[in-house]
Amino acid sequence: MNPRQEEIFVKQLQENQNIIHKICRLYTTDEDAHKDLFQEITIQLWKAFPKFRGDSKFTTWAYRVGLNTAITLYRKKKKSLSTIEFDSTFHKVKQEDYNYEEEEQLKLLYSAISELNDIEKALIFLYLEDKDYAEISETLGISEVNARVKMNRVKGKLKKILNP
Amino acid sequence: MDELEILKKDWKKREHSFNQLTETDIYKMLHKRSSSIVKWILIISVVEILFWSFINFFSADEKYFKTLEMYHLKTVMVIISIINYAVIVFFIYLFYKNYRAINTTDSVKSLMKNILKTRKTVQNYVWYNLGMAFVIFVLVFIFQFMYDPNIEILINKVTQNINKTTFYFIAFVFYTLLIFIFLFIIWLFYKLIYGILLKRLNSNYKELQKLDL
Repeated sequence: MNPRQEEIFVKQLQENQNIIHKICRLYTTDEDAHKDLFQEITIQLWKAFPKFRGDSKFTTWAYRVGLNTAITLYRKKKKSLSTIEFDSTFHKVKQEDYNYEEEEQLKLLYSAISELNDIEKALIFLYLEDKDYAEISETLGISEVNARVKMNRVKGKLKKILNP
Repeated sequence: MDELEILKKDWKKREHSFNQLTETDIYKMLHKRSSSIVKWILIISVVEILFWSFINFFSADEKYFKTLEMYHLKTVMVIISIINYAVIVFFIYLFYKNYRAINTTDSVKSLMKNILKTRKTVQNYVWYNLGMAFVIFVLVFIFQFMYDPNIEILINKVTQNINKTTFYFIAFVFYTLLIFIFLFIIWLFYKLIYGILLKRLNSNYKELQKLDL
């Protein structure tokens, strides 16, 4: 890979690194795992970069490769992964806008999300990222209709976990 | 679903709570590849020694030892083998040390230093193996010439027609050529398995050089 390409890649990645951080937040439970996944996604992106022709946005492409990496890695490690707790230290809210009720609700929500499977997490992630169905379908490689159906199912599932 | 709206709000709020990596951090991440290359060097060297030991073990039958005895080389060969294994094990230890060193560095400068060191170790390893092969070939050929009865018969037969010096000269040229062809093949073998890894390591090194300006 030529150095010019590497420069472009690093610059783009640096600017858009929050995408990867957010994927890591959803798929990992502690700081070390976060770092590991971040690095893994970075390397996968770099490997795939020569094939990235710019026919989609860098961000869309990064979502796709990032999620794929997280999903594959998650599947490999599934057995050893401690699935339950979303660490509460993970979730820091500034003092001034502390709202007890909301805080409790968020805790529940995050722990509900951690019970979702890898694909469902990806869907919720894209929902949280405010992606429209066109982009969701492109990112996950499914049809728009399918994306819509799946999304509703995930939301339903979350609701069920929250209000048993 | 308002719970999800709360979640989304929270998600957005924490958008900027991540420790931001600099471009240098990302470069470093990409060049961590060096450590996996060095790991491969280590693995391959171990596989290699296992491979040769295996071959040695199965080819060293009675006939082989008889031949060695005939050449008066048995003791010498045993000693050479022991030295050889000791040296190779030492090299594997060095590869392991390099791997540990590269794996635990985090500054670009020391990573570069370690890459150079690894390169040097691999080069020394290849040179050692070539040198050892050379010594063994020369030994075997000389002793074959001195003690192999078949060679003696051949010499007597041939020197009836041509003079002795010419014969020795031709034999010498022939053996030298043979040794160099063998060494070339061994060199190719190493070039193939370690060369690819070294090339990648080198290109990593060059990238790091740019970082370190």
